[in-house]
Amino acid sequence: MQSLIGVMLMKFVLGQVKGEEEEENTLEVRETKVKGKSGKFFTVKLPSPLVPGAKIRVSVEMVFTHVLQPYPTHITQAEKQFVVFEGNHYFYSPYPTKTQTTRVKLASRNIESYTKLGNPSRSEDMLEYGPFKDIPPYSQDTLKVHYENNSPFLTITSMTRVIEVSHWGNIAVEETVDLKHTGAVLKGPFSRYDYQRQPDSGISSVKSFKTILPAAAQDVYYRDEIGNISTSHLLILDDSVEMEIRPRFPLFGGWKTHYIIGYNLPSYEYLYNLGDQYALKMRFVDHVFDEQVTDSLTVKIILPEGAKNIHVDSPYEINRAADELHYTYLDTFGRPVIVAHKNNMVEQHIQDVVDPAAEARMKVACITEQVLTLVNKRLGLYRHFDEAVNKYKQSRDISTLNSGKKTLETEHKVLTSEIASLQSKLKTEGSDLCDKVSEIQKLDSQVKELVLKSSVEAERLVAGKLKKDTYIENEKLHSNKRQELVTKIDNILDAL
Amino acid sequence: MAEHSGPDSGKHKANHANANSAALLHGRAGAGTGAGGLSGGLSQPAGWQSLLSFTILFLAWLAGFSSRLFAVIRFESIIHEFDPWFNYRSTHHLASHGFYEFLNWFDERAWYPLGRIVGGTVYPGLMVTAGLIHWILNMLNITVHIRDVCVFLAPVFSGLTAISTFLLTRELWNQGAGLLAACFIAIVPGYISRSVAGSFDNEGIAIFALQFTYYLWVKSVKTGSVFWTICCCLSYFYMVSAWGGYVFIINLIPLHVFVLLLMQRYSRRVYIAYSTFYIVGLILSMQIPFVGFQPIRTSEHMAAAGVFALLQAYAFLQYLRDRLTKQEFQTLFFLGVSLAAGIVFLSVIYLTYTGEWYAKIHIPIIASVSEHQPTTWVSFFFDLHILVCTFPAGLWFCIKNINDERVFVALYAISAVYFAGVMVRLMLTLTPVVCMLSAIAFSNVFEHYLGDDMKRENPPVEDSSDEDDKRNPGNLIVTMLMLMLLMMFAVHCTWVTSNAYSSPSVVLASYNHDGTRNILDDFREAYYWLRQNTDEHARVMSWWDYGYQIAGMANRTTLVDNNTWNNSHIALVGKAMSSNETAAYEIMRSLDVDYVLIIFGGVIGYSGDDINKFLWMVRIAEGEHPKDIRESDYFTPQGEFRVDKAGSPTLLNCLMYKMSYYRFGEMQLDFRTPPGFDRTRNAEIGNKDIKFKHLEEAFTSEHWLVRIYKVKKLDNRETLDHKPRVTNIVPKQKTAVLDL
Repeated sequence: MQSLIGVMLMKFVLGQVKGEEEEENTLEVRETKVKGKSGKFFTVKLPSPLVPGAKIRVSVEMVFTHVLQPYPTHITQAEKQFVVFEGNHYFYSPYPTKTQTTRVKLASRNIESYTKLGNPSRSEDMLEYGPFKDIPPYSQDTLKVHYENNSPFLTITSMTRVIEVSHWGNIAVEETVDLKHTGAVLKGPFSRYDYQRQPDSGISSVKSFKTILPAAAQDVYYRDEIGNISTSHLLILDDSVEMEIRPRFPLFGGWKTHYIIGYNLPSYEYLYNLGDQYALKMRFVDHVFDEQVTDSLTVKIILPEGAKNIHVDSPYEINRAADELHYTYLDTFGRPVIVAHKNNMVEQHIQDVVDPAAEARMKVACITEQVLTLVNKRLGLYRHFDEAVNKYKQSRDISTLNSGKKTLETEHKVLTSEIASLQSKLKTEGSDLCDKVSEIQKLDSQVKELVLKSSVEAERLVAGKLKKDTYIENEKLHSNKRQELVTKIDNILDAL
Repeated sequence: MAEHSGPDSGKHKANHANANSAALLHGRAGAGTGAGGLSGGLSQPAGWQSLLSFTILFLAWLAGFSSRLFAVIRFESIIHEFDPWFNYRSTHHLASHGFYEFLNWFDERAWYPLGRIVGGTVYPGLMVTAGLIHWILNMLNITVHIRDVCVFLAPVFSGLTAISTFLLTRELWNQGAGLLAACFIAIVPGYISRSVAGSFDNEGIAIFALQFTYYLWVKSVKTGSVFWTICCCLSYFYMVSAWGGYVFIINLIPLHVFVLLLMQRYSRRVYIAYSTFYIVGLILSMQIPFVGFQPIRTSEHMAAAGVFALLQAYAFLQYLRDRLTKQEFQTLFFLGVSLAAGIVFLSVIYLTYTGEWYAKIHIPIIASVSEHQPTTWVSFFFDLHILVCTFPAGLWFCIKNINDERVFVALYAISAVYFAGVMVRLMLTLTPVVCMLSAIAFSNVFEHYLGDDMKRENPPVEDSSDEDDKRNPGNLIVTMLMLMLLMMFAVHCTWVTSNAYSSPSVVLASYNHDGTRNILDDFREAYYWLRQNTDEHARVMSWWDYGYQIAGMANRTTLVDNNTWNNSHIALVGKAMSSNETAAYEIMRSLDVDYVLIIFGGVIGYSGDDINKFLWMVRIAEGEHPKDIRESDYFTPQGEFRVDKAGSPTLLNCLMYKMSYYRFGEMQLDFRTPPGFDRTRNAEIGNKDIKFKHLEEAFTSEHWLVRIYKVKKLDNRETLDHKPRVTNIVPKQKTAVLDL
């Protein structure tokens, strides 16, 4: 059991299960309420029901924001920053806990004070409480640690991320970021002299940080209302573009800044299409700095003019606002803009959001397309075989017939099994097209029977076992029937 | 050429070959610089000629536009210097709040606590032009930021200036001269200095309006048509809305009319043109709120009124003379009247300019501006290069073949030369006329030396073909020389533009030994700190130079700014800067100052800092508060201004000195110099132990270029106002507990 004390995060994010093979599977988590108890509760759905007496290992990761409070709240430039963490000694759960250990990992060794429940052991920057035995449900006991923490307490107070998709092969991303140093507030003067000459002056201030942009990012700009910010460096790595961002001035406690960062991406990496349906798969929020906290985020996705039937899938709950229209580049009726908000986000929220044109529907369309080609191919096989039969009739060479039959059998088998697998895929997608495909399969087997029958008759004819007249009559009957079946199949295919 | 020693006839063939190559050169000159020889192109159809003119004008526009982009390419699309920041800020206000809101804008963020009625104290032409372009582009859904419209407005208008200069010169001389003039004005440094990309100032569009108004005026004098005159009035109206320099027009045009009368060149055309222009132009100019009733009240507009009256009287007398026969009496009467009017006119002019002289001598604030200094010979050459030598020749050609419109250009040239000599910034009004006259000179020379070849191709009327041939080597040399001069002119223009006029001055750059560039972005660093980390209504005291920048970039309230309309307010700020800390604190408290911002260049050797400007602050403060501030106190007994130990104690303890050098005494910049060595003034500072009682350092930029101090509140007041202490640590039990 790992009880992670995030530097400054506050919301439950995701549950993970660790199976026997240490394979990580994310579990489905939903928020619920428990009567008579305050706090947030979540229901976790296990992959399979837990039988009595069985064991399962679940690891829970929770991230909290704004939990560490600077104390003292105001410090001078020369002082170090101390913070107080308040938590719970016990694992807060509606179930009894048999045994529990709580480890607190701190940012430094310099600890002013901490609660001494059960005589915790202390080593370097780690506190270990417990093990506690047999804790009743809903136990609480305040854990409090006061220690030195000079890590940058940067918070993105608000951020607007605009993703502009162009049909000319470009995706423009622009992020407007409001940053604040939420650590202990600077008291008294800011001396540039001390800051330049003494290495530990302003130790908790933020000089610069790194933002990781996608590897394909081009034309990166970093600016604010009064122009380009000249203090930044760009490092192009194999798998990302690293940007060292230095705000115009160092950020001390309580100081704010505001900037805009933007770049272009080639759309082939994020935009997928099938026919005239397009899907955009991009991150809802991207990296700004390590262990980032975003208090409020607005994402705007500007789609090309004329985009319709817009659907959004997100990995977590977002608040969609009313769609807007955006006019640029000689637009006439405007580009649809998807607007979404989310508050209180952390680094773990960096996940993809899939955008227009429902993906499931697209998958189905993709499969039916494949089915179509396969069925047509299969019908083509029969024509090939017919040719082989005709050849046989003229040459009376049994080997051509046999080889033709063989190829038909093998290829037909392959195609039929492929179609069957597609059919099952359709079933998993929950599409009603599955039934239609099975009907095609049935009709096709009838066609095949007819084809084989006619070939057998041709054999008999060649061998002189059948009179020519009857053969022709039968053949006519067969081909009529076949024609009927093929048109039936075609009709179904057209309806797909 | 005639003196050229005649070669023997054996050289005939070689000369002929030379003539051919000269003709070839002529063709190139025509394409490259728009040589005047074009007009003599007898073999060219008119369509081809106009296509060539169009191409040349287009190329001139393009060349003018691109040579103004040095700053954008080297730095970024940014507004330059000081005044453009105000223009940008008000254009931004116009674009975001609409035209009427802009006209009624009361800016409470400037001149605290007085405020400024912006709508009534600006020439709105610039902002309206930029705002209109922005509005049209946005109507078409072409997304352009208002800043980019502002940055690129002046380069775009330089093309329009080139075209209107072409039109004017064509009216004065011929098409070839016009094309040359357009090429000159497109790249001449004297005009570029005010119109590079980012220099969003009135002059950028006003020179276009000036040239266009003059073109329309010449056109109306030539035709005597009311249509052209009304066009001229509209252009004049645009000029009035754009720049205070419209006064130049409203004095030059009457002067032209007056001189025409004196030269006995009166005609109905002049009468119609001037009467219409004066009345309609007067009414239109009074529509600009900032101008208001000035045109009928102030002395600089009286000359126009006097000439108007004179013209009416003259026309009336002309009318009478047709009716009456008493010739002698009338002549006498005319002389009397014109003399009287002339005296009135001259005395008005005299008063106007002596008034300006008075201002210059007695108000230090006007004298303190560097661009109000008299022009040196060097800057004439620097800004105009070869044109300054050739334009008297053009003037002479004009006077030699005088007509109504050439009288105008002669007057234009003479008056502009005079004004440019008085003030550096008026170099700007001289530049167009210099370009036009030089173009006439060059065009004439080319026409003479290249035109002969043309004639020789068609069988000449005169029989002395030998004489022609004798001149040919001379022709070639002269042509080559002229082309060399033009080429050097182009090189010089590019060099000056690139080196002297393309620095935003908001962002500085320094170069290392290996050629890499360091950007010193201290101004924006500090302004942005103010913008982000001070109270929205904080009041920032600084010397007036930085007022517009603080308002534009930091978005904070300022006490004084570059619109130096209130001298006593500026003097008060100057007094605070030059007093000791206690006295300064009194002043700052009474002005509700929260922060003081100063510029200090001692660390990087930036010479335009506040200590170097300090004597002007003292002088301006002394002008209003002679009892408290005396300039002599800031000098050593030997009369030197020194910041080291030998400096005067008053200087070493005044607020500006203390703020500049606070903690600088501890700083050792390199090993060869002692701590506290000021690189700008090359001296070790005299007062290293600086302590503040009422101020504290709030921010200093990376290279110490900008230092901001916070003015502390009164100590005893603070305790009275004290609220019970609360801590921010609220128990987070409910949210911090690990719930599952």
